[in-house]
Amino acid sequence: MSNTILKIRGLHASVGDKEILKGIDLEVKEGEVHAIMGPNGSGKSTLSSVLAGRDTFEVTSGSIEFNGKDIIGMTPEQRSVEGLFLGFQYPIEIPGVTNVNFMRTALNEHRKYKGLEPLNAAEFLKLMRQKMEIVEMNPSFSSRGVNVGFSGGEKKRNEIFQMAMLEPKLAILDETDSGLDVDALRIVATGVNKLKRPDTSTIVITHYQRLLDYIVPDIVHILYNGRIIHTAGKELALEVEQKGYDWLIK
Amino acid sequence: MSEQNYIYAPGSTIDGSFKCKVPMKGTRQLFIVDGKPQGSPSSLTVKYAQGERPSEALQVIGVRTSAVPGSLSFSTSYHFGQDSVGRLILCSHTFAEDSFETTENCSIVVEKGASVEVVLMQNEHNRAAHFLNMDVVVGENGSFKATFISLNGGHIENRINVKLEREGAYCELNGLYLADGTQNVSNIIKMEHLVPGCHSKQLFKGILDNNANSRFSGLIKVCPGAFKTEAYQENHNLLLTKGAVAISEPMLEIYADDVKCSHGATNGRLNEDELFYMRSRGISLKEASLLQQMAFAYSVLEKISTQELRERMMSLTEQRLRGEFSDCRKCCKNCC
Ligand SMILES: Nc1ncnc2c1ncn2[C@@H]1O[C@H](COP(=O)(O)OP(=O)(O)O)[C@@H](O)[C@H]1O
Ligand SMILES: [Mg+2]
Repeated sequence: MSNTILKIRGLHASVGDKEILKGIDLEVKEGEVHAIMGPNGSGKSTLSSVLAGRDTFEVTSGSIEFNGKDIIGMTPEQRSVEGLFLGFQYPIEIPGVTNVNFMRTALNEHRKYKGLEPLNAAEFLKLMRQKMEIVEMNPSFSSRGVNVGFSGGEKKRNEIFQMAMLEPKLAILDETDSGLDVDALRIVATGVNKLKRPDTSTIVITHYQRLLDYIVPDIVHILYNGRIIHTAGKELALEVEQKGYDWLIK
Repeated sequence: MSEQNYIYAPGSTIDGSFKCKVPMKGTRQLFIVDGKPQGSPSSLTVKYAQGERPSEALQVIGVRTSAVPGSLSFSTSYHFGQDSVGRLILCSHTFAEDSFETTENCSIVVEKGASVEVVLMQNEHNRAAHFLNMDVVVGENGSFKATFISLNGGHIENRINVKLEREGAYCELNGLYLADGTQNVSNIIKMEHLVPGCHSKQLFKGILDNNANSRFSGLIKVCPGAFKTEAYQENHNLLLTKGAVAISEPMLEIYADDVKCSHGATNGRLNEDELFYMRSRGISLKEASLLQQMAFAYSVLEKISTQELRERMMSLTEQRLRGEFSDCRKCCKNCC
């Protein structure tokens, strides 16, 4: 039997007085791929932000265990070095901080946590080039400001590149497919698959079956109004694609 | 940034004179000790002859020592003859913990066709006050570019008056000021366009922590008849705390037609979205905030043309923002 990597129990989260997550239960085991689907405004991005530790959202009750540890009190950076990765629905631009500098700082924090020496400049650049190839990213992007002037597709590739650098145990990909043309979608999805190992898990948040043609989920959940209202196998995604969500909501 | 009070130690003493242990290559150094230029009884006068283009930069290092505490003033004058090219590095340091007040009156003349770049670095202790009065006159097709870096000091007041006197004169002033504790930094600029066809740019940026405060007061004056003037000014401040205050006073006085002038000022805080994004990749809050501050400072520091000097200023800025300045007590190897 494989280990549980993520265990969410009765999770409630709010912004101010507004409750957005209204009791989420979710369990992800090592090696599994889960898809979370649901109409806009259901709370999918909120769930991923809460998992990554964004303090805009207050967890009012429930528990989150990641890799056997309660992570609710952890900072975002602690969660990251523990092996949790969030691919942002809307990646942030950071003018003046180059991709190289950003990733070198991040990777070295991960290495420090693992008790490893920082990589020197040459080793780092070599690794960076290798990982950029996975998402067919132009090496010239490394010296540019993080996501600055990147197209929608380039930003999403950059997310997967970062994932490749940090090798997380659990990757949560929030609408990584939205706004991508067919080619970009293929590159991103192939990248995710190349990075998949038997002991790592993925949560794919998406509206579309087309991504799930590449990244085939073991389990599909429907999130609606802050709750998971339905869970089934991969055939559910196809059903939702054809019939919409109404039949599940009623 | 963290509040600190540090003092630069002199590198070594040769015949009672100061010498930097690790001078930058390609620079000639000259010290002004307690207001007296070494080897000269009177005030400092530097002349670049017509067409002179030395490969070396001249570094003038003003230091205050415990021998003369309290207040003093001195004058310096730099004259760049026609078509000369010069680079100046002007530094001021305090070598003791006494309370110092230094007034420096600096006059710079840039003759026709001459091209001058100045990098000025102020790095004094928390109870020191430094008043810089700089008057610059730029002649026909002359170019004057200066970057003012106020790294540390209790009270810093830079008054910079520039007169663009002949057609085609160019002036670019860039400034970066870092202040924490109760430090305060003022940059008071007067940019006068006296004749047609001159061009000026100003970019001043500040990072303020704790209860520090800053003032940027920038006047662009376009005199009657100075048509085809281009003059731009920007002042941006990054406030790290609620207690930090930045005052920005842009002023335009335009008495001529057909001119292009603009000014902009912003006061901002660290960007939460950027911080979260960096932290979600494992970068600590402290490092993430430092990366943002360095990115903010970068647009000023990148204006320094000489690579080695630019890199030194970047590393000094980073050390300052990291609160690692006390290391410099042992050695001045990181000072310019
Ligand atoms: N920072 C916030 N402040 C207030 N409301 C928010 C905030 N973030 C999300 N919401 C609200 O929470 C709900 C869920 O949003 P979100 O998690 O982005 O949904 P999804 O990703 O499923 O489209 C929406 O009603 C949205 O308006
Ligand atoms: Mg969303």
